[in-house]
Amino acid sequence: MPSSAAIRLQIETTLANRVPAALTVKIKHAPELFATGIAEVDAVLDGGIPRGCITEVAGAASTGKTSFGLSAIAVITQSGAACAWVDVSDTLSPESAAAAGVELKRLLWLRTSAERKQTITNKPWPRLEQALKATDLLLQAGGFGAIVLDMSDVLPEHTMRIPLATWYRFRLAAEQARTALIFLSQAPCAHSCAALALRCEPASIRPFSINGETALFEHQQYTLIRERNRNESSVFLQKKPPLRAAWHAETLWSRVR
Amino acid sequence: MARRNAMVAGAVMYAVLHPPNFYAQAAAHPRPELRKRPFALLDGEPPSEFVIAANKAARALGVEAGMTRLQAESFPEVTALSRTPADEASAHTILHNVVCLFSPRIEHIEISPGTYALDIEGMNRLYGDATHLAARLRQHTMAAGFLANVAVAENFHAAVCLALGRAGVSIAASGCEREALRDLPVRVLPLEPEHEETLHSWGVRTCGELAAILETDLIARIGQAGKKLHALARGAWPHLMFPIEPSFEDGLIERMELDHPVEVLEPLLFLLSRMTDALLERVKEKALAIASLRVVLHLDGSKQHERIVRPALPLQDKPTLLKLLQLDLETHPPSAAILHLELHAQSAAPYRAQHGLFLPQAPEPGRLEVTLAQLKKLLGDERVGSVELKDDHRPNAFRMVPFAPPPPARSEKQSLSVPMALRVSRPPQAVGVVLTDNRPTRVFWDGQRYAVREIAGPWRVSGQWWSETNWCREEWDVRLTTETSERVCRIAFDPRSRCWYMQGTYD
Repeated sequence: MPSSAAIRLQIETTLANRVPAALTVKIKHAPELFATGIAEVDAVLDGGIPRGCITEVAGAASTGKTSFGLSAIAVITQSGAACAWVDVSDTLSPESAAAAGVELKRLLWLRTSAERKQTITNKPWPRLEQALKATDLLLQAGGFGAIVLDMSDVLPEHTMRIPLATWYRFRLAAEQARTALIFLSQAPCAHSCAALALRCEPASIRPFSINGETALFEHQQYTLIRERNRNESSVFLQKKPPLRAAWHAETLWSRVR
Repeated sequence: MARRNAMVAGAVMYAVLHPPNFYAQAAAHPRPELRKRPFALLDGEPPSEFVIAANKAARALGVEAGMTRLQAESFPEVTALSRTPADEASAHTILHNVVCLFSPRIEHIEISPGTYALDIEGMNRLYGDATHLAARLRQHTMAAGFLANVAVAENFHAAVCLALGRAGVSIAASGCEREALRDLPVRVLPLEPEHEETLHSWGVRTCGELAAILETDLIARIGQAGKKLHALARGAWPHLMFPIEPSFEDGLIERMELDHPVEVLEPLLFLLSRMTDALLERVKEKALAIASLRVVLHLDGSKQHERIVRPALPLQDKPTLLKLLQLDLETHPPSAAILHLELHAQSAAPYRAQHGLFLPQAPEPGRLEVTLAQLKKLLGDERVGSVELKDDHRPNAFRMVPFAPPPPARSEKQSLSVPMALRVSRPPQAVGVVLTDNRPTRVFWDGQRYAVREIAGPWRVSGQWWSETNWCREEWDVRLTTETSERVCRIAFDPRSRCWYMQGTYD
């Protein structure tokens, strides 16, 4: 009667060509983290966003998703790595990116367009299709520190219809390419594929300042909620209640003042 | 017999072809009517033109090099011509073609225009001995319309001096160069002006007289240049020949004529693969890589379709080059069936990089190139790349540039606060606005009705007022609310079209 260890070895040897170490528990290493450049958020995220994983940032308009994304990309490009911004709605402001400290030469900007299709429709499918294909190509090419898939202006009912298989494929590709894949969307869509799920909410409203006769829009307060982090060492920690971080962003002209 | 034996044995022999008064001959070559008439060739910017060459008839009348145009025109019989570089280039081509018939190893002698030195080692089987070869070379040159002196010697410089100093065909026997050069004037040597003056003051007129001076004495008086002059006068100065070689770059072409017109790209790729392979082999022999590939497709209806694929870094990788070609041709397909194709390559030193274990991650150049080509095919040429801010007052003015990330290196971090990002509406969307006291109070956008809760503005911006592309607008920052949501936006009023636009959303 062979021992269980011998049977296990036999199975693993037989399957070695198809599934390496089929019955051995894969030791999961804590992923490398990229700081986001926002101290309050980094404190909640235990250092930053994970590399080789999907980070999903969801929230309505004017809740700081883009500012958060640009801040993270700025830190990564400043570290010398190349990044990509897949812009589904072609809304990225190069001025905002430069002001956030993004090294523009290290940022590949992909602007999808509905005009590439022969029939122009109001539906976001052509743009989403292009963006998903482009993200796939970038992940296959490898070498990018982070890739942002910006779907902030796509309605949740459209993003929800993207097949789950796409997100699984992206998760595996991001892991192999050691790329931090960041999704910006109005509602969570990557489900369990996202290692880190964040929700953006508007915080207490700061009124436009009135220093003189004319009111001036100077800053905005945001709240970022960490909903899930699959990279926590313990399963119990992964299910701990959401953590909140309050942070604020300033307009470019208030920096000058 | 000794000469013949030398050629047979493979001793180095040089033949030098020198067309005397080259500029005048080059000017007269396309104008045969000038040959019998006196003419002077003028060079320089008007009005300070001067004579650089004159034919024999003009020189007999008294025209000399260095004369001004006015002096030259004072001779009524002499025709004044301006120097034309095209004539000289065509003369050079003719002479080059002639000498190419006699030897594959040719060197152009820079200091004397139109003069070529040929390595005639082993040419006896084709042209007989040196005398025959020299005579035939001169004959061919004359048939091409040029008078030329030809000299043959074992020493390169001795052959040059003989060709420059002696008319017709001159042969210097092996080991007898000194005797051959003895009666030639010293001006045939490459003399510096001060040395020419010194030798003239010493009364040294011929190479023989210069060679008779003791080498050490000459060096003691005119320095190290004396050693070279002495050796040249003796016909003993060594020379390393640098033959003219056909340009490697010009040869990097592959052509193919198709039996039947081809409309589909796929079969074409098999041919392009073979052609790229052939070009790569040639390039690799010189330890180079392909920097760019130019495909010229000759189409049905005598049209031509040309595409250039230029990877960011020189590549030696055939699959990558082929993939780039394929993606480019698929993005920009030819408009008709293909009859004939050409593939031109440009070579460059291959890319080599020293990678480091601790450097940040960067895309692999060859792979990135293919990915960028695939993305361009998917999204369009102008929608893929890096962004570069323009030096312009217009907000968010930018241009797209090809993505070429610099080598990985850390840069200093900024310690500024997080700026608020604006999501720009491209193109700006028209919105409906209700004004109260000239200030927006309600906004209708995208089927939604928003109340303006807070407002800041107007910020008046304008630019390009001096041109037709002038623009101006009044911008407002507004906090818009509905029952369920809130957003901060930038709206703008264009006074020329009297319309309100959504510029973007702060996020």
